[in-house]
Amino acid sequence: MDFVILSLAMLAIGIFGLLTNRQLLKVFISIELIATGATLNFVMLASSSGQGLGQALLVLAFSTDTALSAVILALLVIVTKRYGTSNINEILKMYGEKDSEAEA
Amino acid sequence: MILEVLSIGLLVSACLALFVDEPTYSVAALSGTFLFTALLYSVNGAVYAAIFQFAVGVGTLAILFLSGEMLSNKTAKKTSPAKIATLIGAGVILSLPAIFLSVSGSTVTYSDASFGDALWNLNGLDVVLQALVILTVALGIAIILHERKSGGR
Repeated sequence: MDFVILSLAMLAIGIFGLLTNRQLLKVFISIELIATGATLNFVMLASSSGQGLGQALLVLAFSTDTALSAVILALLVIVTKRYGTSNINEILKMYGEKDSEAEA
Repeated sequence: MILEVLSIGLLVSACLALFVDEPTYSVAALSGTFLFTALLYSVNGAVYAAIFQFAVGVGTLAILFLSGEMLSNKTAKKTSPAKIATLIGAGVILSLPAIFLSVSGSTVTYSDASFGDALWNLNGLDVVLQALVILTVALGIAIILHERKSGGR
């Protein structure tokens, strides 16, 4: 059982989801999966060498991750309320139309 | 054996979380991902990490369920059973290299500090600074959402 490969697989799933999904909620989930893959690698390497330092650093990484999640969710709510959709393509289309109206 | 089952569950739930069409089911699958991660940590002896993962996961999921319900398109199509079976199969296949291959070399221990020592003595300043960062982020989000609510920019 190799946790480096497991975390690489999580990273690959997250990046694939980030590239293929057009829903903002799925993009957020992809970022969560990437962060989970990174922390998984971190904790497993730390616990296999029997030290508490890795777990302590993980707590700090979690706080950053949580702050990141809060910012993304706030942006997600604002964008969805403003444009009425959470599809990135539709949002970009509306944003482009708004820009061309402003230029005219 | 339990590690293999947990890693298969982790990758299957990650695949389902990303590619199931219904937002609520997607968030439910993400809760499975967080649960399997916390179990993997605890089985490997990283109990504090498991507790933190569980606590952070529960908070994230509560918000995600609310926002998923609030922001989702109610007329979204349902995921077919064939697609779910494909996703489960993809998750199982992706977990096979982690189970049967190995790339890790020998690990070197740089510190024998316990969790408490490492957190409060070695990283005490980091903890305080992180608390300040989180406070600033919370304040910023509150300001952004308040401006939106009151019709500001």
